[in-house]
Amino acid sequence: MNNQDQNDEDLLKRFINPERIEKAPEGFTSRTLARIRIDAQSARVKKGIFLKYRIPLISAIITAGLIIAAIIIPANETDSVGATLWKFFQSLEFSLPRINNTLLQDLNLPGWIAYAIVGILLLGLVDRTLFGIFKKENNP
Amino acid sequence: MDPKGDIYYISQVLEGKVNTFSYLVDRHKDKAFNLAFRICGNREEAEEIAQDAFLKAYRSLKYFKMKSSFATWLYRIVYNTAISLVRSRKKGLLSIEEFPADVVDFLGFNKTEDEAADDYRNSLVNFALQKISEEERGLITLYYYNDLNTEEISKITGINKSNIKVRLFRARQKMAEIIRKVETKNIFCHE
Repeated sequence: MNNQDQNDEDLLKRFINPERIEKAPEGFTSRTLARIRIDAQSARVKKGIFLKYRIPLISAIITAGLIIAAIIIPANETDSVGATLWKFFQSLEFSLPRINNTLLQDLNLPGWIAYAIVGILLLGLVDRTLFGIFKKENNP
Repeated sequence: MDPKGDIYYISQVLEGKVNTFSYLVDRHKDKAFNLAFRICGNREEAEEIAQDAFLKAYRSLKYFKMKSSFATWLYRIVYNTAISLVRSRKKGLLSIEEFPADVVDFLGFNKTEDEAADDYRNSLVNFALQKISEEERGLITLYYYNDLNTEEISKITGINKSNIKVRLFRARQKMAEIIRKVETKNIFCHE
């Protein structure tokens, strides 16, 4: 610490009295606790709604899954569900917009690889977003 | 003074006893409020910031890893909340002339000269704090009022230790310069 910095330090120490802190106003604790109780109450209500409707919610998800499977799998399909889904994903290039994969042509890779790469990138993006949200929750 | 530590009350709150959180609020409210006030320079906003910080702390209590003290963790929330608020509002800087004269103006009914001098110094410090950046205000408050070392300040602000030293040095320099200017102005006014 040079002389000037020492002078600045001495000056600030002369002016700043650590005992002289600005105290929280009267009733601060009760007001804060009131806010916390309201928050805790609304969190319980939110949690309660999910618990109350969890059975219809799960059945709705299962029903939606079955409807999607019925659309994807043709009626005359004799293969297992797994094999049919695999076939469906292999034929995705017909239902999705064509990706210009001229770079991959020389490598003689299947057409769905381009879609898989796009999918991985999108999942990576979702992963980063979720990581960001939960990290923020851990360190508000 | 309650001899039980913060960890005891934290575990009570985590067991569902919400009211126990009031012990933590009571214990830390003044320093949390002081930090918010020195950064934002306004009592109403400081109360809002401190309350928000306690609410955020309550919501995230289950994530508190106890690697640092509860106070350090809470100050970090207060610091971040206050900095975000100050950055979101633009405020014109005060000029040196706007500082209310000198110690005589702080002499009031039932006030000794020492008390008036203390009030004057405190106002001048607040005035100087409002003339430096919000980040520097936080550093000065944590260092001088909360009596924390650079390592603890680093945990709160997320700035590395060597940078804290440099920024504190600059903030101290700026504050000292402002205080000297006001003091010089007061001397000339009285001549």
